[in-house]
Amino acid sequence: MSELLHFCEHRLQEVSLVFMGLVYVTRILWFLHFKAGKERQGQTGAPSTTPAKGILYSWAIIAMPWAMESTRTKPLLYAQFVVFHLGVAAAITLSFIIPYAPGLLENRLLVWAIQGITAAACAVGLIRMARRAGSRYMRAISSPDDYFSLALLIVWLFFAVLAAPNQTSPEWRLLAFFILTAFFLVYVPFSKISHYLYYPFTRYYFGKSMGYRGVYPLQRSVKSH
Amino acid sequence: MSSKNHRSHNAQEVLSRLGKKLSRQIAGSMVACVHCGMCTNSCHYVLANPGDPTYAPAYKADRIRKLFKRHYDWTGRVFPWWVKAGSVFSDEDLEELKDTVFGKCTNCRRCSVNCPMGVDLATFNRMARGLLVSVGIMPEGVAVVSKDQWEIGNQMGVLKEDYLDTLDWMSEELQAELDDPAVAIPVDKPDCEIVYSINPREVKYDPRTISDAAKIFYFAGENWTMPSEGWDMTNFGLFSGDDDLGGAVARRLFEKVSELRGKKLVISECGHGYRSTRCEGPNWAKFDVPFEMESSIITMLRYLKEGRIHVDKTRNSEPVTFHDSCNNARSCGMFEEPRELLRLVTTDFREMYPNRAENFCCTGGGGAMSMSEYTPRRLKSAVVKANQLKATGAKVVVTSCHNCVDGLNDLIRHYKLDMRVTQLVNLVANALVVPARVAVPAGGPPEIPGEAVEAFAAERPVLADRTIVVADDEPDQVTLLATIFEDHGATVYRAYSGDEALEAARSRKPDLLTLDLAMPGRPAAEVFEMLRKDAGLVDLKICVRSERPELRQTIYEQAVRPPEGYLDKPVDEQSLLRSVRKILELAH
Repeated sequence: MSELLHFCEHRLQEVSLVFMGLVYVTRILWFLHFKAGKERQGQTGAPSTTPAKGILYSWAIIAMPWAMESTRTKPLLYAQFVVFHLGVAAAITLSFIIPYAPGLLENRLLVWAIQGITAAACAVGLIRMARRAGSRYMRAISSPDDYFSLALLIVWLFFAVLAAPNQTSPEWRLLAFFILTAFFLVYVPFSKISHYLYYPFTRYYFGKSMGYRGVYPLQRSVKSH
Repeated sequence: MSSKNHRSHNAQEVLSRLGKKLSRQIAGSMVACVHCGMCTNSCHYVLANPGDPTYAPAYKADRIRKLFKRHYDWTGRVFPWWVKAGSVFSDEDLEELKDTVFGKCTNCRRCSVNCPMGVDLATFNRMARGLLVSVGIMPEGVAVVSKDQWEIGNQMGVLKEDYLDTLDWMSEELQAELDDPAVAIPVDKPDCEIVYSINPREVKYDPRTISDAAKIFYFAGENWTMPSEGWDMTNFGLFSGDDDLGGAVARRLFEKVSELRGKKLVISECGHGYRSTRCEGPNWAKFDVPFEMESSIITMLRYLKEGRIHVDKTRNSEPVTFHDSCNNARSCGMFEEPRELLRLVTTDFREMYPNRAENFCCTGGGGAMSMSEYTPRRLKSAVVKANQLKATGAKVVVTSCHNCVDGLNDLIRHYKLDMRVTQLVNLVANALVVPARVAVPAGGPPEIPGEAVEAFAAERPVLADRTIVVADDEPDQVTLLATIFEDHGATVYRAYSGDEALEAARSRKPDLLTLDLAMPGRPAAEVFEMLRKDAGLVDLKICVRSERPELRQTIYEQAVRPPEGYLDKPVDEQSLLRSVRKILELAH
C-alpha cells in the first residue's frame, strides 16, 4: 500500500469526518435556534392517537410503503429508493471496513454482497438521473445541487463496486473511492444529501402535530362494497 | 421598477417579517425537501393540468423556499444559483408569489401527508400568504372578507340585528312546524351546557341549518344557547395567513362563551371553522380555553348514541356519498364520526374513492371561493373532484363544511352532475322521529301499522286495563292528566311529590308513571334513578314531563336506562294520548 493510499484511507477520512461532524453539530444548533411551536388546544381525533404514537409512526412511515398513497401507488419508485439507500449504506460501511477491518473482506460472499448492492444502487442512480433530466416536472424542481449530488453518488457507488475487493494492485480504484469519500464528507453538509440529518426533526415535529390532531396514523381510503 | 440593488418597501418588509415567522417546524420543511417529486401527483391542480409543472407542490414550495435559502441558509447565501435560492425585489415579484400561494394551492395538506420527508407545504404556504397580506398584497376578495371580519365581527358582514332577526324567524318557523311555543332559539342564556356557534353563511344563505340544529337540540332536551355576539366560528385568518386576525376572531368567540359561562362550545358543520376555532384559535389568540369544544357532528352522534334523539333513516333513502373536508380530516383527524352518523341516518351510503385522509379537496378550500380572479383555474382543477363524485352514482353528496358546500355546488353546476349537496345536520333533522315525540329504546321502535292503531282505538278505550301513576306537584295538572287517562279506560293513581310517586309505583305496580321534573323535595333525577334501580319495577315505563325541556338533561345524565318518553307542558289531549299509547304499545 502506498503512503498516498494509506493517507487517503486514514488521515484524510478522519479529518473529513471530523469536519462533517462539526458542521453537522453547528447545523443542528442553527436549526434548534428556531422556536418550536406549541399546541394549546386539546387533542382531536380518535382517543387512541397520541403525539407519541404520531412521532413513532412518522419516523417509521418511510419503511411502510403502504401507508402513503405516494409510495403505495409507485412501487417501482419505492423499490428504487430502497435499493439506492441500501447501496449508499453499504458503500459507507465499506469506507470503514477497508481501513479498520479489512479482514472481513476476505469473505468473498461479503464482497459480492457489497458489490451487488452498490452496483444495483449505482444503476438506480442512473435511472434516477434519467428521470430527473427527462421528466418536465422533475426538471422544474431540480437545482444544480440536485444533479451534482446525484452524479456524485453514482460515481462514488461505481468506485465502491471496484473498491470492495480491497485489492491494492492497481491502487487507483481504492484511491478514487477514498478521495471521493472524503470529498463527499466535506460536501454533504452543504448539499441536499444532508436531508438525512433533518429527517428525524421534520418527521418528529410533523408526527407530533399530526398525532396530537388525530391524523396519524393516516386513515387510508376504504373501498365501498 | 425596482432593480436588484434596490428593493421595494413591500419586498423589504416581506423579507424582514419572514424571519419572525420561522418556527422550527417551518424551518424543517424549508431545509428537508429533496426534490424527489413524490408529492407531484397528490395535488388536484397537477392532475387537472397535465404537463404544467408550475402546479407541482415542490415547485410551488420552492417559490417560497428560495427566499429562505437566499436569506437564511448557508449554501444559498454563498452560492444561490447552485440551490436555486432567490429573493424578491419588486412588488411585481410579490404579485407573482401571490399568484402561486393564493391561486395555485388550497392548503388542503394532501401533499403534506404524502411527503416522505414530512415537508408541510400547507403550513408554510399559509405563512407566505400572511407575509403578503401584511404588506397589503392579496386577492381583492381576501381583503374584503378580512375587513368585514375585523370590523363587523363576521366574515360576511352580517349585522347583529340581521342575525338576531334570523334567529327569531327560525324560532317562529319551528314553533309553527312543531306546534310548540317552547321551541324558541335561546340567545345569550347563561350557564348553558352548550353554546352553539355558526358560520355567517348559515344566516345569509342557509338558515335552515340553524333551524335544523335548533330542532335537534330541542328534541334532545339540550340546555343550549346562541351568543348574540362573537357567534361567528369561521376565521378568515386561517386562509389569509394573518395570525392577528385569527387570534382576534377566536378570542371574540372564546370570551363570549366564557362570559355566558357555557360549559361547551359546539361548532356547527364547517371545516375551516372547526379547525380555526378548535385547533388553531387557542394558539393564535394565546388563550387557554376554559371550556370544552366539539364539532356538532360529535354532538349529534352522541345524542343518537345516548338515545336522546331518534331517527328514521328511511327518510333519507337517496344514495349518498361523503366528502371529507380537508380541515376536518387532514388537519383535525375527524374521519369516522361523520361516517358513523351518516350510516345511522341514511339507507344508501357509498364511499367515494379516494376517501378519508386521501380524499381530494373540494377545490373551494383555502378561501378559494372568495378569490374570483382564480375561478376558471379552480373550476378546471375541480374535474378531479367531479370525476370522483360521478363514479359513486350518488344523488347526494354530504359534507361537513360550508366552503365545501359552495365549492361542490359550483363544480356540480359546472360539470353538470346530477347531484345535490347537503350537510349532516339537514339529514339528521330530516330523519328525526318527531310526530310521536317518544324516546324509544336503542334498537329502534317496532312497526305499528296505522290501520291497526285506528281499529284498536275505535273498538275499545285506548287505555283499558292500564294502570298509570301521575306525579306532579300541581294539582291542576294531576287532575287534567288523570281525567284524560280515566276517560280512556285507565286506572289512575295520583302523586304530588317524588316520595309519593315512589310509594305509588312500588305499591301499585303501574304500567306507566308520568314524572314531573320540577317537583319540590326529592329531585326528580333521584326519583327517576330509584325507580329504575328498583328490581320490582323493571317493567315500569316512565314518561318525564316538564315545561323546561333542558331539565331532561338531568334525567339523561343518570347511569340508568333512559325514560321511554317525554311530554312537554302544556299538552293537548290528542298528543298526550298518542304519546302514552305509543309508549305502552312499545312495551309489547
